[in-house]
Amino acid sequence: MITKDQALEDVLILDLTDEKGMYAGKLLADMGARVILVENPEQGHAARGIGPYYNDVPDINGSLLFWYHSTNKESCTIDISKPEGQQLLKALVKRADILLESFQPGYMESLGLGYKNLAKINDKLIMTSITGFGQYGPYSNYLSSNLVSMAMGGIMASCGYDDIPDSPPIHCEGWQGYATGCNYAAIGTLAALYYRDITGQGQWVDASIHEALSCTTEAAMPNWFYTKQTPKRQTGRHHGIQPTPSTQYVSLDGKLINGFDIPPRTMERWNALLSWMKETNMEGDLENDSYRELIRNRVRTGPQVLEIVSQITKFIASLPAEEIYHGAQKIRLAWAIIRSPEENLNDPHFTEDRNFFVDIYHPNIGKSFLYPGAPYSFTETPWNIRHCAPELGENTNSVLIEDLGLYEEKVNNLRESGIV
Amino acid sequence: MGKPNLLNGIRVVDFTHIVAGPQCTRILGDLGAQVIRVENEQGLDSTRTSPIKVGGGDGINRSGMFEYFNRNKLSITINARLPLGLELIKRLISVSDVVIENFSSRVLENWGLSYEEMCKVKPDIIYTSITGFGHNGRDREYSTWGPTAQALSGLTMMSGLPGERPAGWGYSFLDHTAGYNAAIAILMALHYKNKTGKGQWLDLSQIETGMVLTGPSVLDYTVNGRPYRREGSPPGNRSRNPRVAPHNTYKCIGDDRWCVISIFHEAEWENFCNTINRKDLLNNPKFITNSERILNEDDLDSEIQSWTLTKSPEEVMTLLQNAGVPAGIVQNNEDKFEKDPQLQAREFFPEVLHRDAGEKFPTDGFPVKFSHTEANIRAGSPPLGADTEFVLKELLEMEDEEIATLYEEAAIL
Repeated sequence: MITKDQALEDVLILDLTDEKGMYAGKLLADMGARVILVENPEQGHAARGIGPYYNDVPDINGSLLFWYHSTNKESCTIDISKPEGQQLLKALVKRADILLESFQPGYMESLGLGYKNLAKINDKLIMTSITGFGQYGPYSNYLSSNLVSMAMGGIMASCGYDDIPDSPPIHCEGWQGYATGCNYAAIGTLAALYYRDITGQGQWVDASIHEALSCTTEAAMPNWFYTKQTPKRQTGRHHGIQPTPSTQYVSLDGKLINGFDIPPRTMERWNALLSWMKETNMEGDLENDSYRELIRNRVRTGPQVLEIVSQITKFIASLPAEEIYHGAQKIRLAWAIIRSPEENLNDPHFTEDRNFFVDIYHPNIGKSFLYPGAPYSFTETPWNIRHCAPELGENTNSVLIEDLGLYEEKVNNLRESGIV
Repeated sequence: MGKPNLLNGIRVVDFTHIVAGPQCTRILGDLGAQVIRVENEQGLDSTRTSPIKVGGGDGINRSGMFEYFNRNKLSITINARLPLGLELIKRLISVSDVVIENFSSRVLENWGLSYEEMCKVKPDIIYTSITGFGHNGRDREYSTWGPTAQALSGLTMMSGLPGERPAGWGYSFLDHTAGYNAAIAILMALHYKNKTGKGQWLDLSQIETGMVLTGPSVLDYTVNGRPYRREGSPPGNRSRNPRVAPHNTYKCIGDDRWCVISIFHEAEWENFCNTINRKDLLNNPKFITNSERILNEDDLDSEIQSWTLTKSPEEVMTLLQNAGVPAGIVQNNEDKFEKDPQLQAREFFPEVLHRDAGEKFPTDGFPVKFSHTEANIRAGSPPLGADTEFVLKELLEMEDEEIATLYEEAAIL
């Protein structure tokens, strides 16, 4: 086996984040960076206290949320609220390229660990602070949560139901607000790394989750900037200034299909759709020339469009979901099954052909589990899992003894006094 | 102004269209890269014809969606189907660092612009392709729009009220996300190139950029055998991990006005009850601890909503945040632009001159601030082909005669 390089294998990262920033470190670790989690000796990383858990048993080393977000990371416990812990962190900062943190603004500074102090120790350091609202401004001390971030950023105003009266705006489960904040934090960190490659200058990167989400709402902001209109949320499809027809259909086996491009925007796709429906005599009267005219003129609303939708509803209800999905895609209609996340484990395109899911061995359990894999493939420097998430403090000795050169006795003293 | 951009000197040849690709190059452009959109009228980016128009004008140079995703970029019109046009594209690639496209799988290859061909003119090129399904695999010819990718990835199903059909996402979240991942990948590849001088091909599947956002749910299945499709999935705006209450949306005064409140600790619960003058809730056996509040969540939420219904979401947020309770307004586009003091304090909506309308309009800022450098918006989106002459003369240093030939042969338009 040829071992390839890793894009970030020369980069050492100290990761002091909680659940707000956990995804940023994963993105970097999985591309080769050495990421050392600096964890509180008692509770460890915040994600360790959040489920779901292995076998549903709450345990500091059993959080699946932590497992997923801590692949390739090491764990070193240091109590940075104590002076001796602060000294240890500073010693690590001397060697580090990047420090990630997601405390409330001002907390690191209150410990003497603000950017100015750390830059004195290491002026090449890139310090990335990931916070709910940014380092300054009237909301900078506000508390965020994943839900608060998705409300304030404008995601939820566009997501929900138009066919359930009085129903609330909806946020998607699964830490999506924080993940989007972390995508931008990673972008900012890597751009700073590029700048440092060229100039040798480190810097402080202030990533606001609120701003990251505020520019992740597609047409919502352009609608306001240029026409002062607010799109309304609609079930399972794009928000709209004008209402559009439903795109959710039910297949023979009771699965939901996301229909898209109904009625099709090209004559080619319309003809292909009709031929496909005719195979099972499900075309109804759609062969009528008046429908052809409507497709030609790209009419998107009105009674005839509803007729088309109603006949397609019957057609989709006559076949199993997999057949609808592949049949539609083969004639270039971008329809899809609304899958639950784990249902892709049965799709050979993602499993057999792309090896998307990766088997990760947990030595302390003696078992391997399938994880979602890479968001991108690199020809020279592939995304790669070297090891599973660490147990709390698993690497404390190696970091303090091998990296910092402390004697074992000193480490034992620090452990006894609760510093590590 | 004054601070340097981060990606000064980086040049990007941009064949992207719609949202996913342009989102990536918008970021690179904001960070200071010179992004050159290669366009032509036959294969026009459909975003140029979107119905949101800038400054009351009309036509392909007045699209608001195009302006939003293509600020800071240049536009050159080239007919890639003519040999001279292809030659010109290769010349442009030979002086560039990154090539990016989000056509269907193998479109660029069919033009004669495979990764291998690009390497012949620029050995260290970083080539980035974004498709729905990736460039290999049995379904690679299939196509996605944001909602298609969201449906397949699992993200549509994870958004909704329990017992109802999924609400999904009201826009193409995965167009943004695919663009973010592409930008991350390119920046990593640039660092690797700085060290080794090597370029590479970065291939992204939009669906997979969504699948990586479902990790804990997938693990709950592969580790614990618990499928996502089960009673109570998705949980709406309540929280299953951590399982806490109250954690929900609440209706406020006004038409479609909502706030969110999410309480994780007992201290926050006490502060909450004190702030809304409902100390009785603290001693009510139905709500005495988090476990009781979860058991009686419907009652708890109606108690809370009876309070929020008397307040605006702004009042709810201010009162609760000042008392140390995580709460927020469900903000729409108007709220963010007109009222949000945080976005204002951080100058999140700078104005930029629209190149066709000749007037300034607001746009989003960059959501990351840097101490020693800056990301900024230096120009509006380019009218179609507006920078053809600049690119040919200034960047490629072509002579007038050579340019005249390109026009005559219709290789540039």
